[in-house]
Amino acid sequence: MPELTYREAVRDALVQAMRQDDDVFLIGEDIAEMGGSMGVTHGMLEEFGPERVRNAPISEMAIAGAAIGAALQGMRPVAEIMYEDFLTLAAEQIVNQAAKHRYMSGGQVSVPVVFRTQGGAGWSPGAQHAQQLEAWFVHIPGLKVVFASTPEDVRGLLWSAIYDDNPVVFFEHRTLYPLKGEVPEALEPVPLGRARIHRAGEDVTVIATGRLVHESLQAADEAEREGVSVEVVDPRTLQPLDEETLVASVKKTNRAVVAHEAVTRMGFGAEVAAVLQYRAFDWLDAPIERVGARFTPLPFSPVMESFVVPHADDVLAAIRRTVGRER
Amino acid sequence: MATKVILPRLGQGMESGTIVRWLKAEGEPVRKGEPLFELDTDKVTQEVEAEASGVLLRIEVREGEVPVGQTVAFIGAEGEELPAAAPDGGAGRPAAPAGPAGAEGAAPPVGEREPPAAREAPAAEPAQPSDGRLKASPLARRLARERGLDLAAIRGSGPEGRIVAEDVERAGAATAARVAPLAAGEPERRPLSNVRRAIARRLGEAWQVPVFQLQVSADMSRVNALLARLRERDPEVRVTVTDVLTKVCAQALMRHREVNAEFGADAILLHPTANVGLAVAAPQGLVVPVIRAAERRSLREIAALRSELVARARENRLRAEDLEGGTFTISNLGMYGIERFTAVLNPPQAAIVAVGASEERVVPLDGATAVRPMLTLTGTFDHRAVDGAPAAAFLRTVKESLEEPGLAL
Repeated sequence: MPELTYREAVRDALVQAMRQDDDVFLIGEDIAEMGGSMGVTHGMLEEFGPERVRNAPISEMAIAGAAIGAALQGMRPVAEIMYEDFLTLAAEQIVNQAAKHRYMSGGQVSVPVVFRTQGGAGWSPGAQHAQQLEAWFVHIPGLKVVFASTPEDVRGLLWSAIYDDNPVVFFEHRTLYPLKGEVPEALEPVPLGRARIHRAGEDVTVIATGRLVHESLQAADEAEREGVSVEVVDPRTLQPLDEETLVASVKKTNRAVVAHEAVTRMGFGAEVAAVLQYRAFDWLDAPIERVGARFTPLPFSPVMESFVVPHADDVLAAIRRTVGRER
Repeated sequence: MATKVILPRLGQGMESGTIVRWLKAEGEPVRKGEPLFELDTDKVTQEVEAEASGVLLRIEVREGEVPVGQTVAFIGAEGEELPAAAPDGGAGRPAAPAGPAGAEGAAPPVGEREPPAAREAPAAEPAQPSDGRLKASPLARRLARERGLDLAAIRGSGPEGRIVAEDVERAGAATAARVAPLAAGEPERRPLSNVRRAIARRLGEAWQVPVFQLQVSADMSRVNALLARLRERDPEVRVTVTDVLTKVCAQALMRHREVNAEFGADAILLHPTANVGLAVAAPQGLVVPVIRAAERRSLREIAALRSELVARARENRLRAEDLEGGTFTISNLGMYGIERFTAVLNPPQAAIVAVGASEERVVPLDGATAVRPMLTLTGTFDHRAVDGAPAAAFLRTVKESLEEPGLAL
């Protein structure tokens, strides 16, 4: 199987969709000549031209609004919001327009738009360029929300997002762009709403998203050496959520840890914990542990940043607490 | 947060105990599981182990009689501040029925101790500590409910004394072994479940069959290496010795079809596929879910199926079809360290193999001795359907395939 970086995998999904389908186009800041500030759309201007790889002015509201308008007219736009922190500027368009039109028109129109964006700490970008805001959008009926953690998943999920008839907010993680991984020869769509079990285990289920999937796999290896068998599950699509897979896993292991980089409080993990306690109550043998960032704006200092966001060690400590082997 | 050290209930009916002496001093570090103090009950004197690691911050009760559930000390982080009085020492706090007598001897005053008055509050006998709420995980509660066990009589080993599933399992095993504490001399009555009835009926039938047993041991070195390699390559599917045995037996059954048989009224039926049943200890009793056509399945497939069937069996969610159509059975007690045993036939099948633990044994090898992981298999065969020689040939094939798993491919 060929190997792609996460960045190349995103680009591959975009290129393949644009080759097969004239309705797919890109819009965003500096995505044409510059290839996007994260280099994802590098080289695409040459192949598809400025009509389909459209540079936009520095206005997230305009980018989102234009993409929604095009989607209403039958196109399948992919809008790039340079940093997910800037989703705040496009929130009116995404939350009040994109998420609502299909419902308010009684199904007469649909809004097949994808808002691609990225974020995440680990490279010291400071408080305004590294937040993890997925929980805000999971809270909005009418939106689908994806957070992919591997090259294979990001490619297959982006494809499904482009061809979904609903607006999808598509989160990528900044530190995962250079991550290499095997992908199938031909692009295989990954259906939205299906979790992936990365590692099977017997004693504890860790439900993790984004960068924390990799931290959790590392923690699971360490736990294995301590005699604790850990199952690691990535929901991949946060909305709709694959409750069945998560609940089945926890019914098997009887213990759960939820882990993400976003702050713990009111985070996506809180919703997962609520689902698990309700649907697997009689199977739980320990309180559900949550792992996430401390409740503070992200510091610029690398040392402080590392202190604020969670790592494998934090996941491991949570795993140990669930099995009563605190140290 | 400091963890309270609570006077544990060491047996049913125990309401209080007498602290004889502390084995750790205040300020001394303790590790979870280390002996903390000696406790005298009406039955035994026993060392009580710490249930948390940290520093023994304060001993609340140095010696004397204490009701079950009372806080006798705190374990926490070095330098951690404790409330002036034990948090559960308030008005609602139960005291020994004897009144002050027991409690007083218990409290040598030291500086910031709580006033004795708080200690003298009379106390009923809390099932478990502190806030009066008995701490047990939801799973532990469900298991206790299903098995008719009283949580109040179970000692919790989880954080803050929480009762977890393992404690209930242990208590269940202990009660099964002990005479139930009912009226003197009266046995505990457990009505037969349907599963129990079925087990009794079928094994009763099996006992009528004339059987013979054959035993063989196999060197598991190569199987172990194969398993390690498979788990390394594909950690998602955990392939076990049972899975290898399922595959190997299924292929051997295809080569020795007279073993994959059933003795009928006027004919012996030779089955076209090897449907291998696995004896599983489910909460409701023994069940034998079946992996169909195991000879055609990959190890990975078998492992995934086995894992699902076992999980379903443990949750009592097996469907009727999961249990039907078996042509052969494997019963593995290796995980309990059983070296070898004989299994009772699972009728109408003509054969069952009992699997012991894979354990290191000294074996002769090329005129010298070597230490090898050896596994002993004991086959039980229905002599009406199969004779000794073909059964022996079958077991020889199984042994060869285990010692040289490549041959089974």
